[in-house]
Amino acid sequence: MRLFPSLLLLLFLIGCSEKGQSDKYLRWVGDSVFNEQLDSTNFQLCNKEKNVNQYFHLQEGMQYKGEKIMLVNHFFDQYKQVDVNQSGWIRIRFIVNCKGESGRFRIISSYKNYTSQSFDKRITNQLLELTRSLDGWEIQSKNEKTKDYYQYLIFKIDNGKLIEIMP
Amino acid sequence: MKNILSILCLFLCLLITAQLNGQPNCQAYKYFGDDLKYEACIAAEKRAGHYQFSKEYQIALDQALAIDSSFAFAYKAKSTAYLKSGDFITWIALMDKAVYYNPKENLDYRGWCRFQFFNDYEGAIKDLELLDSLVDYDIGHCQNGFYHLHIARALCYKSMGQKEKAISIILEQFKNPTHYAGLFDYLHLGVLYLETDQYQKAIEAFKKQEQENDLAENRYYIAMTYKKLNNKKEYLGNLTVALKKYSDGVRLQDPYVEQKDKIYLSQIKNELEIANKL
Repeated sequence: MRLFPSLLLLLFLIGCSEKGQSDKYLRWVGDSVFNEQLDSTNFQLCNKEKNVNQYFHLQEGMQYKGEKIMLVNHFFDQYKQVDVNQSGWIRIRFIVNCKGESGRFRIISSYKNYTSQSFDKRITNQLLELTRSLDGWEIQSKNEKTKDYYQYLIFKIDNGKLIEIMP
Repeated sequence: MKNILSILCLFLCLLITAQLNGQPNCQAYKYFGDDLKYEACIAAEKRAGHYQFSKEYQIALDQALAIDSSFAFAYKAKSTAYLKSGDFITWIALMDKAVYYNPKENLDYRGWCRFQFFNDYEGAIKDLELLDSLVDYDIGHCQNGFYHLHIARALCYKSMGQKEKAISIILEQFKNPTHYAGLFDYLHLGVLYLETDQYQKAIEAFKKQEQENDLAENRYYIAMTYKKLNNKKEYLGNLTVALKKYSDGVRLQDPYVEQKDKIYLSQIKNELEIANKL
């Protein structure tokens, strides 16, 4: 009988441990929860949060009107090089909704050693504004149902100069 | 026949790649007396049936790592979702651990992904050359099976502006009797020859590519080579084929990233306009 309370305690601890691990993650790696400090309320998902896809789920790569070359030209035509000794990667990730609108922008960046590092604001602000102004996102649909999806752009920077855009 | 053999080889390669990157055989750890890794491996199996981005998938691997923090496979498996969401910071932290605990089985993946997802040419070369120095066997193919890793390494050198070095790496790899032509090998070689003004060699490479895997890109670049040689008939003719192939979806396509030497519809159309005015 004395074993019973111990067993209960053990089960409780295992439960707590699994809950702790579960709390560490959202539905999917990289999900962006709405944040009223950062996100415009004008941007709305068309479907539920749990149904937001990734851009590659349709196996067709990044979909932009006029193809990636149009998007690349948008940045290279307008980005103004910043004279700083900073090189690495900046990723801007966002959601494209079923109307082709974009929102919930999130930025991460690192220098070439891949450790988290902020770039000069003149670089990140430019890239963020240029990303926000993209208006050619294709609408993804499956089985005649339109989808919301996560998309990202990674900018490779060499001494403040934009040199490549991925994916 | 040659095409069928190539496709069979690619299939075999993909199968082997899938096996290598899938769940390891847990019994093997037990057989070799590594009970801790065996337990970790069994814990990692709980991710089966869950999407690699999902919390269930990640938690199963966390539990495996809680049992054995040196279980390299779990770090690599966890890393993939971060890779595909473009989170290079978390991805590299996980892959660095995988490489630390098992460099011979993880340098290929880290090197390839550095190239494929982040255009980190220097990092990719460093990983692939380190791997080559550590093993006495062929370093093999990339994750998606499209390229031998030496061809991928050549594309890294090309992207850094070292085109002659890239050509010599590809030719060296072609000398290897175990190498079979990849789906895009001759396309990239042809473009390298075109970009270094070696037009006859470029045409030879593009014609080989035509035999292996005739893509819109192949036709576009051979057209550009004929343009350099002032051969209007072949220039126009190949551009027309390129347009047809592009419209039919016979072109470079990767669900995650843009492949090297990819061309776009507008580029073919613009060039056709120029060709038609000649």
